[in-house]
This record gives sequence, C-alpha cells and structure tokens, in this order.
Amino acid sequence: MFLVSKRYRDVIFFKAQVHLRSEASKTYLSFLWWIFEPIISMGIYYLVFGVIFQRGTEDYIPFLLIGLVTWQWFANTVSHCGNSINNNLPLISQLNFPKIILPSINVVMDAFKFLIVFLLLLIFLWAYGFPPTASYLALPLVLLTQHLFNVTIANTVAAVIPFVPDMQIIISNLLRVAMYLSGILYSIERLPEQYQIYFAFNPMVMIIDAYRDILMHQQWPQFGTLGIFAFGSFIGVVLSTLLMNKMDPIYARVLMQK
Amino acid sequence: MSDTVITLKNVSVIYKSGLPIFRQRSVHEALKDISFELNHGDSLGVIGRNGVGKSTLLRLLNGIIKPDKGEMINHGYQTALLSLTVGYDNNVSGRNNAILSGMLMGKTKEEMIEQMPDIIAFSELEEFIDHPVKNYSTGMKQRLGFAVATQVKTDVLLIDEILSVGDARFKIKSEAVMHDKILSGDTVVLVSHNPKTITKLCNKAVWIEHGLIRKQGDPSDVIKAYEEFVTK
Repeated sequence: MFLVSKRYRDVIFFKAQVHLRSEASKTYLSFLWWIFEPIISMGIYYLVFGVIFQRGTEDYIPFLLIGLVTWQWFANTVSHCGNSINNNLPLISQLNFPKIILPSINVVMDAFKFLIVFLLLLIFLWAYGFPPTASYLALPLVLLTQHLFNVTIANTVAAVIPFVPDMQIIISNLLRVAMYLSGILYSIERLPEQYQIYFAFNPMVMIIDAYRDILMHQQWPQFGTLGIFAFGSFIGVVLSTLLMNKMDPIYARVLMQK
Repeated sequence: MSDTVITLKNVSVIYKSGLPIFRQRSVHEALKDISFELNHGDSLGVIGRNGVGKSTLLRLLNGIIKPDKGEMINHGYQTALLSLTVGYDNNVSGRNNAILSGMLMGKTKEEMIEQMPDIIAFSELEEFIDHPVKNYSTGMKQRLGFAVATQVKTDVLLIDEILSVGDARFKIKSEAVMHDKILSGDTVVLVSHNPKTITKLCNKAVWIEHGLIRKQGDPSDVIKAYEEFVTK
C-alpha cells in the first residue's frame, strides 16, 4: 500500500471507511457482528474439538482462540480480496485508476475488523490469567509479518482470479484445508514426528506459533525465522504489486469480454 | 492553443470473447487502424451507427483499455469519461460515490467536499444524495454522473451519448452546460448518433464505420456524407 501514491492511498482509506459504515448499517446489530461472528465460529470449534472430540490440550481455550482469530484475519483478507476486481466492473470500465486499489480496500477493512477482535482477545487473555509481559514488545513485529503475508497472498489471488474464474472455487476450498493444516485446532507437537516436518513449510504455522509464544508462553518469538519471513513477505508484497500494475490495463478488457 | 492533447497512431482494438486461450470463442476487431490528433480546445464529434466502436474509442482515449496494435499517446492530460452507465457503488450513498469518483478523477477529498453543494444543486437530488445509489432511478444516477463530471474540472471530457439526460427540464439545463463548456474552449470528445448535436457543438468530426475512419474534418461535410450513407 506504501507503493501507491498519496492520492490513491486517500481513496483506499476513504472507500474502506465508507464500506465499513455501509456494512454496519445493513443489520440491526450493525458493527457488533464484527465481534459476534468470530465468537460464534470460535464457539463451534471449541464445542466440536474441545468438548466432543476431547482433542484439547492444556489451556485449550486461549490456544484455540489465538489460532482462530489470527487465522480468520488471513482467510477473510484472502477471500474478500479474491473477488475485489471481479465485483467492480462498473468502476473499472468507467474510470482509469490503478487496480491495486481494489484489493487494498479489502485489506484495510479486514485489518480494521481484525484489530477490534484482537484487542478483545488480549483483554480476554488477561482475564483468563495471561497478563501482558515484556514479550508483548515483539507483537508489532508479528502483526506486521502477518500483514505483509496477507497482502502478498491477497494481491496475488486478486490478480489471478479475473483470468481464471475457477480459482475462486479452488481458493475457498484450499483455505478450508489449509486451516486444518495450520495447527489451529490442535498442537502440532502432538502429531507423529515424521509429519511435523511438513508443517514447517506452512508460514501460518510459524506466525501462529509466534503469537502463542508471546501471548501464552511469555516467550520471545524466534526472531531469526520471523525476520526472514517478514523480509520474504515484504518482497512478496512488492512483487505482487508489480504484477498487478503490469497487468493493469488488461483487467478492463478481461471483465468486459466475459 | 494548438497543443496536442492525445495522438492516436494506427490504433486497433480486438475483442476476444469467452475465456482466454482454452475457450476462446469469437474474435471481433472493434477498431482497425484509427489515427487522429486531438488538440487543446477541440471539440471533436464522433459519429457512427451502433456497434462500430465509438464507445471503445472513448475507453481507449480515457486509458481504460490499451490498443492491441498501434500507439496512443496522452501528452499528460487528465481525462474523464461520462456515459450512460455510471461507475457507482450501489450500496454507497450518492454523496460518497460522488466524492470517490471525483477522487479517482484526480481531485482531493477536501476539494470534492467543497464542491458538493454545487453538485447537489445541479443534480437536483436534494435529500436523496445521502441515500444509497441502489435506490436511485436511472435518471437520478445519470444526473449525478453528469453533475460530477461537469463540476470536476478535467482537461479532457469524453462524453458518450449523455448530452440529453433526465427529463425535459434537465435536458435543457445539461445541454446549456455542455454548450458553455464547449464554447469556453474546454477540450471535449463527443460521441453521438445525432447529427444535429455534432454540427451544432463540434469544430471537428470523425465518422467511424466498421472500425475504420470513413471521413474526418469539418463537421458539416462529415455529417453530410454520413447522412447520405445512412439514408441510402
């Protein structure tokens, strides 16, 4: 987002604000849904995995909540951004502007909603018996890393879906599978060792572990891997933005020709 | 006053329908080998029958699409496209839509907020300006689009058949505004299949038939040739 000019950054933030407001005005409980919806889905996962299947580890509720809240930030960003270009045909066929704006609007909206839920999570953790410690100082770094990773995947998905509409279906299913493979509902350490190695390739496993280290175990995250990962994601953001800018004039045609 | 605003050199645009590569169906050449220059202060009329590539030409001039062959050079001017389908977000209020499209045309948010009273007054939307656009009638959307595009000062205004929007009263008003704009020396490209509008408002005309320029030059000559062709 730092890659677009001030003028378009203003558009992104203004449009995100306008959309958040119009979204809130559509239901009786308005913005409270941004909080209730994640709570409901967390309740369901807790019921199924914690109570019925008894897969819970020690302190299962905070363990599950940290994983789910941060995972949903990623999953929501990716699935919303995926449609951002397809859903804006009237705008694209009428005005000439960098299309990178469109997924960026969703990125801002989902980040905003996430921050509210994340704040509530921190309050909950404190009440549950995990007060803030010095390791919280590393939290901004983890949040930034995840943000950069979210943007990389979101931009790439948004750039590709207009050309291959099938990807939309594939991605929503991939997200569902990836959720079960990201160590959100169970601890990866409890799996047989020969499988554990594969999880090391999943960036979200690393990010969620970092959150849990900080918020639950009062530990510093592994700065080495996190740093490499943050840098890699940053490169990813730059590349995905360049990809989108390169293909910018093609989108209007792709959408009109369909 | 004769600075070149936009140059088109042997431009062609080819539309392919269906999914690319694997499920390509038809290929349609909307524009073939179009060349002309638009100078500062020109009001260029583009005439032609339905589906000969007039709207494609405007999209090209606005930079929404790029030519497949040839070259289009915009010498650093800001363009705005005004057509019957307005690029609005249906769930957002008219006011915010107007601010957003102004911002995308190159204005700041503050400038747009400052201009809103004029836009509201001109579009005659009154309290509807704060309703979501999905509650608007077609005429209301067009009035708002027209108000925004004429209030926002851009270097080049590209108009697609919208000179006469809304009811009879608004029609007179919008035509008067267009008249003023064109006569005051704004650069305008006007697409129409109404020969009268073009002879009345333009100082140059282009007649497009099947993606090719059949004739260009003085509006009355071009219109005469076009009318002979159509009524033949």
